[in-house]
Amino acid sequence: MNTQRTEEVLYETEAALRLVDHGLLGLRNEAPDIEPAPQFLMQQGGLSELPAILERANAQILGVLSRLRQSRAAIESTALEKLASTHEKIKEVTSATEDAAINIMDACDRATQMVDELDTIDAEPTPDRERATGVRSNLRDELFLMMGALQFQDITSQQLAHASAVLVEMEARLIDIARLFDGKADFSEQAVRAEQSAPNVQTYDPNATTRDSESRQALADDIFSTIRAPAA
Amino acid sequence: MKFLVVDDSATMRRIVVNSLQRIGFTDTVEAGDGQEALARFDSSVQFVITDWNMPNMSGTDFTRALRARPDGANVPVLMVTARSVKEDILTAMEAGVNNYIVKPFTPQVLKEKIDALLPAAAA
Repeated sequence: MNTQRTEEVLYETEAALRLVDHGLLGLRNEAPDIEPAPQFLMQQGGLSELPAILERANAQILGVLSRLRQSRAAIESTALEKLASTHEKIKEVTSATEDAAINIMDACDRATQMVDELDTIDAEPTPDRERATGVRSNLRDELFLMMGALQFQDITSQQLAHASAVLVEMEARLIDIARLFDGKADFSEQAVRAEQSAPNVQTYDPNATTRDSESRQALADDIFSTIRAPAA
Repeated sequence: MKFLVVDDSATMRRIVVNSLQRIGFTDTVEAGDGQEALARFDSSVQFVITDWNMPNMSGTDFTRALRARPDGANVPVLMVTARSVKEDILTAMEAGVNNYIVKPFTPQVLKEKIDALLPAAAA
């Protein structure tokens, strides 16, 4: 190797060394628990230590990759599936609320027409009392339907409790991931807050739904009719 | 006939109580969970309508506790709940529930189930 080529190799190696040095300093700044760069990196020369430096850098990178894999596993373990399910539940809350509102408005419209009909009957010279009695009965049915439509509130509150529980669980997982990257940081306050904000699992059914109530009732009826129900 | 209506949702308790009034049962007592229901239950109660998911004590645990009492062993228990998978229905049955209504329910279904259990309640 001639002198010029040797100088080129030395120059390139020094440049590579500076890049490694820069990278390690960056790692140290981002992750306080990574050991500081050795003193010889701060000095000129030390070229003979390059393999050791690269080996240490490689170990650091492998460590970071391992933590990333752990965090990915923590996120993937049912979290994505639960989030998707929660998204569906929230969409269902929206549609259940809208359905209930429409049902109540329809019943209001019918009730208003019945009140108008009662006014018409009353305005007749000889009011048809029998017809009025029938209209009043139908009016009561409509009012009762409105009340029944409000059952959506109980079911949607259970769906929202489930969504809240999933979010609290996600928060706990994120705290676990943060701990993987920064073992020295104190996340106890956040963890306690997350735990305290979790809804009581006894108070809701994760599968609560306003949908298909007739077929679900039919299943219950089938079970109670085919399997001997306890004697009352 | 006196009914005990157990549900942690005040809205649902009101809907059930109003439904009962509409079909002619005006004597009702209410409880917000199983523990409160056990405290309110006495021999004057002839029919129990209970939710499943409640704080402190669930509807199934309440039913088991009720069945263990001499005065609650034979009272009809109708469960009204959003839970509707087969395993849940079987669990309710094993706990001692006599019939099962899935939320949201219609007043007609409530009336049918009560009518079916009335002979036992009157006995």
